[in-house]
This record gives sequence, structure tokens and C-alpha cells, in this order.
Amino acid sequence: MLDLATTGAQSEEQFALLVDSLAADPRRREQLTELLREDHPLYDKRGTATISRMRGWVLLAFARTGLSNAALIFVLEELDTGTDAYLVAAAARALRSYRRPHAALAPFVMRALTQIRYREEPVSFENYGEYADSSADTSPVRELLLTLTWLGSYAREVLNELESLRVEREGLSNKLLIEVDRTVKSIRDAEHIEEIDSDDCCNLPTGLGNKISWAFGSRPGCEPIEQTVFEDHDGTSITFKEYFRGHPSIVVFFYTRCDNPLKCSLTITKLARIQQLLETQGLADQIHTAAISYDPAYDLPERIRGYGQNRGVRLDGRNRMLRAIDGIDSLRRHFKLGVNFIESLVNRHRLEVYILDSAGRIAASFERIHWDEQQVVDRAIEVLSEPPALAGGPDSIDTGYRRETNSGTNRNPAIANPAEAPRGNRRNAGPVFSTLASLGVAFFPKCPVCWAGYLSMLGSASLGQIPYSPWLLPVLVLAMLVNLASVWVRGRVTGRMGPFFLVSAGALAILLARQGPAFEKVAVWGVGLTFAGSMWSALSARNRRGLFSETLGKIWQKRFS
Amino acid sequence: MTTKKKAAKSSKSTGKSKPGAMRSTRAAMSVATNAHGTVKERVAALAEVPLAVCESDKDLQAVLNVVRNKEEAVEVRLAAMDTLATAAFSVIAFESCRKDYIATLREVAVDPDPQIRESALGLLAGLKDGFAQKKLLDGLKNPDKALVPPEKALQLLSYDVHAESYAVARDIVSNPPSTDARREALRLLAADATSAPLFEKLLRDKDELREVRQISASALHALKPEKLQEHAREMLLDTSEYEDIQATSLTALTQFGDDEAVGKDKVLLNSVDRLSNKAKSARYKKSARQFVSKYAK
Repeated sequence: MLDLATTGAQSEEQFALLVDSLAADPRRREQLTELLREDHPLYDKRGTATISRMRGWVLLAFARTGLSNAALIFVLEELDTGTDAYLVAAAARALRSYRRPHAALAPFVMRALTQIRYREEPVSFENYGEYADSSADTSPVRELLLTLTWLGSYAREVLNELESLRVEREGLSNKLLIEVDRTVKSIRDAEHIEEIDSDDCCNLPTGLGNKISWAFGSRPGCEPIEQTVFEDHDGTSITFKEYFRGHPSIVVFFYTRCDNPLKCSLTITKLARIQQLLETQGLADQIHTAAISYDPAYDLPERIRGYGQNRGVRLDGRNRMLRAIDGIDSLRRHFKLGVNFIESLVNRHRLEVYILDSAGRIAASFERIHWDEQQVVDRAIEVLSEPPALAGGPDSIDTGYRRETNSGTNRNPAIANPAEAPRGNRRNAGPVFSTLASLGVAFFPKCPVCWAGYLSMLGSASLGQIPYSPWLLPVLVLAMLVNLASVWVRGRVTGRMGPFFLVSAGALAILLARQGPAFEKVAVWGVGLTFAGSMWSALSARNRRGLFSETLGKIWQKRFS
Repeated sequence: MTTKKKAAKSSKSTGKSKPGAMRSTRAAMSVATNAHGTVKERVAALAEVPLAVCESDKDLQAVLNVVRNKEEAVEVRLAAMDTLATAAFSVIAFESCRKDYIATLREVAVDPDPQIRESALGLLAGLKDGFAQKKLLDGLKNPDKALVPPEKALQLLSYDVHAESYAVARDIVSNPPSTDARREALRLLAADATSAPLFEKLLRDKDELREVRQISASALHALKPEKLQEHAREMLLDTSEYEDIQATSLTALTQFGDDEAVGKDKVLLNSVDRLSNKAKSARYKKSARQFVSKYAK
């Protein structure tokens, strides 16, 4: 059996034979997926065009043998971000060998079609490394249309977009327009499937996705790289420890010579968008951002600064573009980066963005397929809200990666976060407690006689055992004010001040009610407004991933770390 | 006005025209693809049709046939390739023609005529085409298979930094088949960060060709600007250095140097001031004057 890890010196012809032998052997077929990892030693010191031939051949092997779940993400990655005609065509063909069509696959195919149509060229799949020189050969657009036909009624979501290709006319050739028509017809005529479940339409099959989370106890420590020295966009030197510890960070990787506009250029543009989102939510000073170059020898400060500025990235002490002065190797090992090199230059890389916790450890990553900026910010906010003790300090013991993957297009991912459930419960209890405090203030008896009256009324519930306690009033008032303050903080962080105004109105109504018997009926309104405002605030905060608790966490950190 | 109308009408009816006369695109296309026309007329007609070549499949195939046809005059085939290359600039309008265009270029990249090969490989290399890169690399590794001279192959490979060309280029620098090939190999390596030490060595080697030293200075500026500053200073203080190389060094320091550090470097300023009076080269004098006027203040 060939050891995949020690076959780096193989010629392309040997590589093709290896792929063919793996594809022919059902017991070893799973090893084909390993060959799609960018960092596989077989791709060391190869040019980008060579890697395209090699990876394309692996994808075609899947097309012959059937695409596994493990390999599906690589196919989707190619459709999502690929600009190489051969690879996109091979990915489209491989997808057709997946066990069944799925509605979530259609947007990937349509996106690839939109992107590759201006890079159309003939491709040949007959022999390894063969380049087509006849217009009769297949092409990426043709393969993508065939894949949409295979999806059939599962591609209905993209039918309008597909039909718009027909309307535009000036682009596709007459031959392809005929194929577009055929594809549209086949999607329309396909047997009507069961009404697609709303989750099913947008999510990848279970277990697949671009988001990976590390549970608290399983995060690898950053000790091996904490002394790594970076130079930032201004030429200032700073170590990993100095920049990444003490606060969560969002880290992307890029290089300025990347010629795929759907990768590095778009990543940096999206980083600028992330910075705007953090700014809007008042978190710009709590969550740092960094863009680290894969190509530090070439990406000098002036280059990375220009690259960032041209894409709208904010650059300051909390938002830096970095290059590792001593090279990328230590970072490559630590982050297990999906990248490979020909000498010092990148020959292939994946999309990757990492969220580091306040100890500089990897808490989550988004890989391969395009990530949603808001989703990344949300995940960073979750990390920000981790209690300091759990977030892990320098003494935390790490036992290696425990990756937990979830669907990439799911907007409510199941996070591998043990604190998640109890925090949710605490959040539900908050408004109830605050409303009880308001209720207490509103109906607190004014004198011992009133207290006796209340007790006689509640006597049957054995509440008569409670002694008259005048100190309870200021406690309840304090609790009400605490609630008011917390709603205000939530409002500032989430940008929704409506709940604060409601609770304020409720508090004023309760105070008014205590001015005399004539106003006592107002108290009910006060309690109602307080309850409504508190619930609204709590729900808003939940949608924003617990900003209230994270603000408290921040205060805690400032005080005690 | 009347004369122009008559000329246009005349060309439309005959399909022939005098150079400079106006004619319809249809008439020009007809002349361009007419195998019985003169070379001069057809080349002129092909220059008129880039915007129309992709409008109909018939016209596209006619022009592609001209490119492929080995019986056609080379000038006409090259003009047809130029027409298609010009049309390809309009990416959206050319979308429907791109596949046939690429297929044709790959076909003629191995044409018996060297000019056709070079032109086709040049167009493909500009598109970072894997087929062209493979052919060019194969030719550099095995000269018997070479489709173009090594210096041309290196030049075309330099269009894509991700091509597998650095190792081959280094071999050519060490063991050059020609001076031109060595020069192009160095130009290609100017994007390779690991080649900075090589360029430092070449820059300081007074026995090297001036052009090679200029390329080395330019490469160092891109790869390790601080090293270029260091060497530029040393070369300016070296009284045995060539004036044109010193002029290059002055330009590097004036344009890209650390203003504060250079301004405080009295030894350097005095040296430049002194040498500028003795210089024979007008270029050096001019550079020296600019340098002194910038930093002497």
C-alpha cells in the first residue's frame, strides 16, 4: 500500500496512477479525500496549473466512484470560489455522483455558473493532464448545466436566475443557449418533489458546513507561537502574545499576489465589512481583527497596507494587517492552514477565518466556502461573552483539537459551548425577576396596618409568616434600578433602545402609583410595561448572542484580569 | 461628403477598398476572409472587424479558419489572431466566442510556423493558460521540444507568478543558453522573494553587465527595499563604481530612501556633492543635483 504522506516526490504520471488505484479499490477509496487537502505533501513545490491538473483528476475519480460526504465540501468549495475552468468542470461532474440531489446544492452550482461563464474554455477528461483543443469538447458551463439537470426539481430555487441567462442573450453562445433551454425544461418537468422543508432548502446535509467550533477544554494553546514576531502594516513589530491575548480576535489569512478575486481580495473586503459591523455594535474596541499574509517574504508593510486600504479596511492598533517576520511555517502548523507553496509563493489555499478567544486560542473557524460576515461577528461575540474563567488563561490545559462541525448556511448553528444552555436559562429568568421587583415596589405596603391587611388576604397561602420588613422596599427599588440599567446596557449594545423606554415608562408609572391612592391603578400599567420591556430586551439580546452578559464579562475581565 | 458616400457604396458593391476608405463591417469581413484577396487588403480588413467578429458564429468560424489554415499567408493569420485578441478584451461580448478561441489558440500553439506559435503561446500565457505554461516549461527543460526560444518562453512564463518557473529560471541563470535568456530569467526571478541574495550579489558585481545590475537593483527594490538602500549608499561611497550605476543608486535613495536617515548622513551628502562636480555623465549630474537639493536643506 502506498503511503500517501511520503509520496511527495511522485511525478504527475505516478500521481495519476495512484489516484486511479485508490479509486479502483473500495477499501482505500476514502483516501482520495486526503488528496484534496491543500497542505498534502504531494502538492509541495508544484505550480498552480499542475495542482489544477492533479486535483481535477481526483475530482474525476470521485465522479467515477461516487462522491462521499467527506469529499462533498471540497467540491462545493471549488464551485463556490473556483476560477479554474478545468477544476470547476470536474467539480460539477463529481457533484453529479453524489448519492442524491439536494436543494442546498443548487445555489453552489448556479453561483459557479455565474462566475465561470466568462472564463469558458474547452476541457478534456479523457486522460490525465490532457488539454482540449477542440470546441466539441465539454466545458465548465456545459458541465454545470448538466449538474442542474441532475438536480432536477431540487434546482427550482435557482430557476429564475437560470432563465435570466436566457433573457440576457448577449453572452452565451447559441449552442449553450439551447442547453440552457433544455436544462430549464428538465427542471420544470422534473417530478414534483415533496414540499421542501424550509431548513432543508438552505442547509447542507447534516454534518457538512464551513463552520468549526472548538469546545472550551479542547482548544489548543497558543504557546508554540506566542513569541512569533509580526510586522504590521506600519512596520511596527509585535508578538502574537502581545496582539492576540486579552481579547477575542477575528483573524483572516490572505496574500496580495492571489489572483483569484473570489478568495483573498474578497476576504479582505469582507474583513472591512466585519469591522463596520463591530463598529456599529460598539464592539470595535473589544474584538480585534487581523489579516495575516501567507506570503510574508513578499508582502512587505507597504504592500499589505495598500492592499487593505484599497479594500476599505480600517487600520489602527486594534485592526492590523500582519506578516510573520520569520516566515509562515509556525503559523501554518499551529492553525493547520489549508495552504501550500511553490518555494515561498502560495500555489493553492482555501478560504479560512479564525476566531481566537481572549487567551489567543482558536475558538472557531470558517473554512472553504464563503462565510457570512454577520455570522462571524456573532460567533466572535459569543467568544467575547465567555466567562473569563472558562475562556481559559495561560494555565489552561489543552488536549488537542475536538472539532465540531455544523452546517455552513445555518444561521443558528449549534455551538460547541457548554455554557450556552445555562446562559440561555439565565437570560429567560432575568425579565421575570425584574418584573417581580417592579411588582414588589408597586404594591409594597406603606405601613404595618396595610401589611397586616395583605397578610390576612394571603393567609391561606401561609404567607402570613413573613414579618413586616421596611428594608425590603429599598431592596426592591434597587433591583428595579438594576433592571433598568441592564436594559439600558443591552439597548446600547444591540442598538435597540425601545425596551429601555418601555421599562423607564413602567418605572415612572410605578413611582407615580406610590404618590397616593388616586394613582394606585397606574401601578398595574407600570408592572406591565416593565415586564414587556424586559422581555423585549432579553429577546433582542438573545438574538445578538448575549451581549448583556458579554458586557458584564468585559467589565469582569477589566477588573480582575 | 458625397465623395465619402460614393466610396462606401463602391466598396460595399465590390468588396474591395482603398486603404483608408470607409466600408461596412460586412464588406470588411468579406475581404478579410476571402482567400483570393491580397495580403495587404486582408490585413487591413481584419483590423476593421474586431467588434464584429463575435456577432455571428459564421464570422467567428471564418476568422478562426484563417488562423488555423496553414495554407494562408502568415501575415494574414497573425492579423486574424490580433483581431480575435482585440475582440477578447471585451470580456462580456466575447463570452460566446471564448471557448472556440482558446481551442484554436491551443491548436496553433504547435503550428509549424514559429511566429504563429509565439503569437498563440503569448496570447494563451496572458490568460494564464495551463496548456501554454506546460508547453513552455517542457521546452525549457528539454530544448528539443521547445516551441519558442528560451528567452521568449521565460518572458511568457513571467506573466503568471504561480507558474512553476522559478527553479528553471535559476538553472538558466547558472547555466545560460544565451545572454538574452539569462536576462529574462533574472527578470522572472524579480518576483521570487528567495532570490534576493542572488540580486544583492549581482548588483555589487562590477564585472556584471550593466543591464543585469539594473535589473538586480529593480528586483531588490521590489523584494528587499532596505537592502537596496544599504547597497545604494555603499555604491555611492565607492569611488570606483560606474556613474550610471551610481545614478541609479541616487534615484533609489532620492525616491524611496528614509528621508530622515539620508538627510543626517553627512558622509553620503558630501560624497555625492563632491562627485557631482567631477561627473562626466549629464544624467548623474542631474540626479546628484536633485539629491543634494532635497537633502542638503
